[in-house]
Amino acid sequence: MSILVGLAILFPIIAGLVCLPIKNQKARGGIVCLTAAVLIINSILFLRQGPFPIPPAPTWDSVILVFNYVILAIFLFVAIRDIAQRGISRHNILTIVLTLAAGIPLAIFEFSWAPHTPLEVTPALYIDHLSIIMCLTISIIGSLICVYAIRYMKDHEEHRMHLGELKETTQPRFFFFMLMFLGAMNGLVFANNLLWLGFFWEMTTLACWGLISHDRTPIAITNAFRAFWMCLIGSVGFSLAIMLLWNGSSDSISLMQVINNGASAGPLFLLPFALLCLAGFTKAAQLPFQSWLLGAMVAPTPVSALLHSSTMVNAGVYLVLRIAPGFQGTHLSTLIAIYGGAVFLATAILAISQSEAKKVLAYSTIGNLGLIILCAGINTPLAIAVGIMLLIFHAISKGLLFLCAGAIEHHIWSRNIEDMEGIARNLPLLTGITIAGMLSMLVAPFGVLIAKWGAMEAASSIGVWSTLVLVLLMLGSGATTVFWAKWIGRFLCHSPVPGSSKMEPFIPLYHGILLMLITFAVAFSILIAPIYNSIVAPALTEAGYNAALAFTTGAWFLKSPMGIFAAWPIFIIITLALLIPALTTRAKPEASRSSYMCGENVEIGVDEFVAVADERTELKTGGFYIENVLGEGNLNRFVVPVGIVLLVILFIVAMI
Amino acid sequence: MSTGWLIGSAVIAVIVAPLIGGLLRGIDRKLTAHMQGRIGPPIIQPFYDVIKLFGKKPMVAGGAQLAFAYAYLALIITSVVFFALRQDLMVVLFILFFGSLCLPIGALSVKSPYSQFGGHRELLQFLAYEPILLLAAIPIALKAGGFPIANIFEYGQPLLPHLWITFIALLIALAIVMRKSPFDISSSEHAHQELVRGVVTEYSGPYLALIELGHWYEMVLLLSILGLFWVTGSLWWLSIIIALGSWFIMLIVDNINARLTWSWMLKFAWGAGVTLVALNILFINLGWM
Repeated sequence: MSILVGLAILFPIIAGLVCLPIKNQKARGGIVCLTAAVLIINSILFLRQGPFPIPPAPTWDSVILVFNYVILAIFLFVAIRDIAQRGISRHNILTIVLTLAAGIPLAIFEFSWAPHTPLEVTPALYIDHLSIIMCLTISIIGSLICVYAIRYMKDHEEHRMHLGELKETTQPRFFFFMLMFLGAMNGLVFANNLLWLGFFWEMTTLACWGLISHDRTPIAITNAFRAFWMCLIGSVGFSLAIMLLWNGSSDSISLMQVINNGASAGPLFLLPFALLCLAGFTKAAQLPFQSWLLGAMVAPTPVSALLHSSTMVNAGVYLVLRIAPGFQGTHLSTLIAIYGGAVFLATAILAISQSEAKKVLAYSTIGNLGLIILCAGINTPLAIAVGIMLLIFHAISKGLLFLCAGAIEHHIWSRNIEDMEGIARNLPLLTGITIAGMLSMLVAPFGVLIAKWGAMEAASSIGVWSTLVLVLLMLGSGATTVFWAKWIGRFLCHSPVPGSSKMEPFIPLYHGILLMLITFAVAFSILIAPIYNSIVAPALTEAGYNAALAFTTGAWFLKSPMGIFAAWPIFIIITLALLIPALTTRAKPEASRSSYMCGENVEIGVDEFVAVADERTELKTGGFYIENVLGEGNLNRFVVPVGIVLLVILFIVAMI
Repeated sequence: MSTGWLIGSAVIAVIVAPLIGGLLRGIDRKLTAHMQGRIGPPIIQPFYDVIKLFGKKPMVAGGAQLAFAYAYLALIITSVVFFALRQDLMVVLFILFFGSLCLPIGALSVKSPYSQFGGHRELLQFLAYEPILLLAAIPIALKAGGFPIANIFEYGQPLLPHLWITFIALLIALAIVMRKSPFDISSSEHAHQELVRGVVTEYSGPYLALIELGHWYEMVLLLSILGLFWVTGSLWWLSIIIALGSWFIMLIVDNINARLTWSWMLKFAWGAGVTLVALNILFINLGWM
């Protein structure tokens, strides 16, 4: 059984190392596909196997002890190398300072405070349904993204070579980091020893740095270092939390033990939880740390897809969801809910003003993670169930949308939403999948909306503070709708096509993967009741929540303590309501008209009008972004301080 | 309530709602005309209009425009059905929102300067009213003990005495949904007030008729939600009075106001509307209401 864990963690890391010396495109692609197949099959076997105990593994304790410091040394090395190459900057200095701030306390703890080195815990691994859900998400979605990247990186490099920005392929390094990322994430979600967790945590930070800086442009390197030091703030919190836990309440660095002690432990027991949450918030790019994830979009699109859906940011929310039972019923929990709500609202409004496709997606990610954190803060069985479901559905839809953005980019060579005007005409299949993906984030009966429905019903039951949480949630929900809808509008904005529209060429590694993901999004939404019963409910029970108070399911509905979501009837009716008109309404060519231009149209089918002096002028339309009011420059003046203030209050509450 | 009875009421709702909606639109036009010193069209003029529109030759100015006109109507009817089946109020609202969203997306899928303006402005209307409606479901559920509409009927007491603050906020939302002045940012409800009618500029003939029908359903659904505030007890008929009274208030407000800017609308909706519901939720949580 241990072999399942071994395959999940070590196989991708080793496969990544094997990729490093391989220059041949096909061979490397083969290794990536093989790894993907192994990971996917392995994770499904894992699900069938279910949770099982793992004996202590002293050898691995030592290995991880050594490699933990190796990784910290690599951090210092890359930062110092950057100083040598590009001179001193805020980012590389902060990287060095924070690496030391995270590493020195850890070293003091491990070598001087701890009764023996390495410190081991039983069980070594935390295997329950929550970690299995995470493993499935990482292994399936992450692997599909890696497979997509085979084709994407080929196009990407050809384009850059064409522009003269690149001389020699750097793909081996790219796939090394991608695959290592998957291994590190699997390690992270299975770790029970906090030292192991910390090690894999740093490993994902390193992989993230490697991937963001991949293109080696000055902006990529700067943004990679920004991601680096911001995530290291979380690592400092992590190290301090470990020390506090050992000396304070728990006398243990076993995650299981820490969570179980949680509410019963003595004074100051909340502080380590707050520190662990801080680590989670930095990873999940919550306010005021959002800039690293926004900066990360300079990386090739599969990297964004990976960071935003199945890895990196998910590690952050995983940690918060994981430790949530430990601070259940405290004021800290309420504050975390408010904080998550504030992030959700702020990012939803900020996203309205963005015209860069990947930036809109990034804000949407941060907002949805805020929503998951809100659920963790509400901390009722229903809320935690919703948080887990949101994590799964968001990973599928967001992975899909980033891959769509990448595929579109490789057709129009732009990431600007304004350049996507009317592309439904030339790329009907790709746009169709993208719009379906957006709808899966937005409307009934898809999973994300079902989760939002659950979050709203859960938030209504937490007493006085629920008012504030609910207001943040509802306003954010409205703003979310606006930015998705106007983007969908840009895709579709074109004059009628004369004759029948032609399908773009089918590229298996693009369209195939996208179709697979949209199928997941739809199938998971239809099967929400059985999925809840088979994986989410057990995860709740294992975490100590009463799953009967979350959802009860029937053949065709999902019932919360407050309401009922008739999933199947809604799905069937809405599908009929949308598909029948979409498939049957075909306007006759002779019904085509030009749009209304006060009678100054030139002729039918030509987007031109007659302007001054009978001159033919091209018709141009555009989306609105309200940048003067909702732009980043304007809003960040408020948003960033609010994020900082909320975090400060959170820590004050944790200490009293 | 037996299943058969519920299904029957859903069927009746789907048939009767547009009749009520069309009639209300007719009376609206007549009363408005009188207020403006005109005689106005016959009360059943809206039905003549829609029948005539259905007979017109279809014209298309954009790719996905038509599908969204059908989807708009179909989804709003779906939400009416779920309302009649006394399902979860939040779910009814979500389906309604999906339907309402089809209107701006349909408008945005035409490369037309006016339609683009209208579509974007309709999204702002949406941004203004969606949070109020969603939030208003919370105090109702807190009082009735759950989100299913069936709970409100079983609650046994009228909601209005506890939730009058929420009711006021819902009136604001209703005015925005019905595009009544001063909230007629994306287009005016009365077609005769403007030459180029914002969000529906590019719809004509049978497709405009679909949208008009959808709007009737939408209006009746929202008035029914307002009616929920007094559906139980011996005075259950007050729900009809409340719904019609709200509709009449909309009419007056429409006639004594002029169109204002979108930023004012947003500030008013979020500032007054959302705050009112939030206060109501707070008072309930504190045990004051």
